[in-house]
Amino acid sequence: MRSKNFLLFFSLPFIGIIVIFFVLSSLNRAYIKNKTEDLVKEQLQATAEILKVNISYFLRENYSADEIFESYSRKENIYYMALLNEKKEILSWSSQFEAYLPLSLQSIKDEESWIIDSPAGKIFNYFSPFSAQEGKAYFLYLGYSLKSLEEMIVYSRRNFFFIFGLISVSGIIFFLGLYQLQRHYLEKKREAEEEKKEKERYREISAFTSGVAHEIKNPLNSLSLIFELLKKKAPLYLQQEVGEGKEEIQKISRIIDQFASSLRPLKLSKETFPLEEMVSSVRESLVKESDKAEVEIRYLESSVIDLKADKGLMSQALHNLLSNSIEASSGGVISIKAQQKKKTAIIKIEDSGGGIAEEDKQHIFEPFFSRKKKGLGIGLYLTKKIVEAHEGKIEVQSKIGQGTTFLLQIPGG
Amino acid sequence: MKKGLSLFIMVYLLGFWSFSSDQEPQKPLHFYNVDTEKKIKGTIQEIIMEPRYKDSSPFLIIRLEEKKTHQKFIVEISPVRFFTHDFHKGEELEVVGSLYSKEGSQNIIARQMRFRGEIIILRDKHGFPAWRGGGMKLKERRKGKGF
Repeated sequence: MRSKNFLLFFSLPFIGIIVIFFVLSSLNRAYIKNKTEDLVKEQLQATAEILKVNISYFLRENYSADEIFESYSRKENIYYMALLNEKKEILSWSSQFEAYLPLSLQSIKDEESWIIDSPAGKIFNYFSPFSAQEGKAYFLYLGYSLKSLEEMIVYSRRNFFFIFGLISVSGIIFFLGLYQLQRHYLEKKREAEEEKKEKERYREISAFTSGVAHEIKNPLNSLSLIFELLKKKAPLYLQQEVGEGKEEIQKISRIIDQFASSLRPLKLSKETFPLEEMVSSVRESLVKESDKAEVEIRYLESSVIDLKADKGLMSQALHNLLSNSIEASSGGVISIKAQQKKKTAIIKIEDSGGGIAEEDKQHIFEPFFSRKKKGLGIGLYLTKKIVEAHEGKIEVQSKIGQGTTFLLQIPGG
Repeated sequence: MKKGLSLFIMVYLLGFWSFSSDQEPQKPLHFYNVDTEKKIKGTIQEIIMEPRYKDSSPFLIIRLEEKKTHQKFIVEISPVRFFTHDFHKGEELEVVGSLYSKEGSQNIIARQMRFRGEIIILRDKHGFPAWRGGGMKLKERRKGKGF
C-alpha cells in the first residue's frame, strides 16, 4: 500500500507535467503554425503583386500570354499559373502536372487566396485582378508550393515528439529508480525493525532463563552438599548409589552452566597473539582430554599469522570444532590450514570422519541440535556465536563418508 | 521568433525567384476544369496512343460512343505506362471527367472510370493526376458500386 502511494505520489505529478508539457507545446506549435501560414500568405501575396507588375509590363510590350508564361512557369515553386481576361476566361495557363489546374470559375471571387492539400503537398492558391495595357483588366491565378513550410512543420513536429519521448523516458527511468530505492529502503527498514524486535525478545528470554538457571542452581548446590554429607554417613552398600546421585546433580549443574553461558551476550576482550600459539594450546588440552590417541592434529600456516581477537573465546571456538572432529574421526589426521587474505585469517579444519548428513547441515549451528549420544548441542552454536561476534563467518562443507571441513574467516589477521 | 519567421519567408521567397526546375511545364492544352465535369456511358470505338503533354509519355486515348445519344467523345485516360487494363473495341465504359470542345469534337479528361465493374481512379477530385504521386496509385484502385 505504501509502495502504491509512493508510486502515485511520484507518478501523478510526473504524468501531470507531461500532460501540461504536451498541451502547451501543442498549443504553441499550432499558434506558430498559424502565424507562419499567415506570414507566408502575406509574403506570397506581395510576391504575386510583383509578378503582376512584371506581367503587366510584358503585356504592354505586346508579348503573348503564352510567351510570358513560358518564362515564369519554369520556377520550381510555381506549380501552376493562369492568366484570365476580365470575363474570367482563361487566356493561357501552365501546370507542372498534366492538365492540373484546380480552379473553379463558377465560385471564385475577384480576389481570393486559399490553401489546398494535394498529393504534391500543400499549395497556396491566389486569384487576383490587375490591369495592364490600356487599362484592360486581367486576373492572375497562381499555385505556389508550400513544401518548405511543410518541411518546417514536419521538422517541428518530429522535434516535439523526440523531446516529448526523451522527457517521458527519462522521467519514467528516474521515477522508477526512485521507486526502487524507496522500496529497497522500506524493505531494509522492515528487516531492521524485525531484527530489533528479535533481539529484544532474545534479551528478554535470556534474562528470564538466566534467572531461572540461577534459581535452579542454588537448590542444586544445596542438594550436592547434602549428597556429599549423605555419602559420608551412608552405609557401605549405598555408597555407590549416593555417589551416582551426586554425579547426576553435578551433571545437571554443568548443563545449566553451559545453558546460561550460551545465552549470555559475549563481551570481547581483544588482544594480538600468534595463531599457531593458540592452536598449540588447544591441541594440547584436547590431547589431555581425548581418549583417542590415534587421531593426529596437524597445523599448517602459509605465513606467520597474528590474530587480533578474544583469545579465550577463539580458543573455545577452536576447541569446540576440534573436539567435534575428534569425536567424528575414528583415526587419521585432522588438519588445520591457515592463511591470510588481506586482513582476514582463513582457517580450514578438515577431518576424515563420517561426515554430516545433508538434511543436518542447515541445523548444526542451531542451539540444542545434536546427533551425538552425549552433549547438549551447544558447542557449534557457541562457536558460530563467537565467530560472528568477531564479525567473521563460519561455513561447513561435508559429505557422508567423506569427512567434514569447517571454514572460518576471522577479520583482524 | 518573428524575426526568425521573417528570415524563413525571405529565404523562401529568394528560393522562389532563384531556383529553377528541370521539369518542363506542360504545353497548355485543356486543363481539368472541375466546373465541366460530366458522366457518360458508352461503347469503346477505338483505342489510340498519342503524345499529349510535353515531356510526358504517350497517353491512352479512347473514342467512345454514348449509348443513348450516339454522340462521340474522345476520352483522355492516362499515360500508357500507368494503365494496365486491357480495353477492347465494343466494350462498355463509364467515364467521369472534365468536358471540353476542340475543333468540333467533344473531349473528356477522365477522372474516374468504371470498366468491367471495377472503378479506376485516374485523378483526384481537383484533377491531380494519380500517376504523379499521392494516395491514388494504380495498385490502390478500389472496387465499388456506382460513382
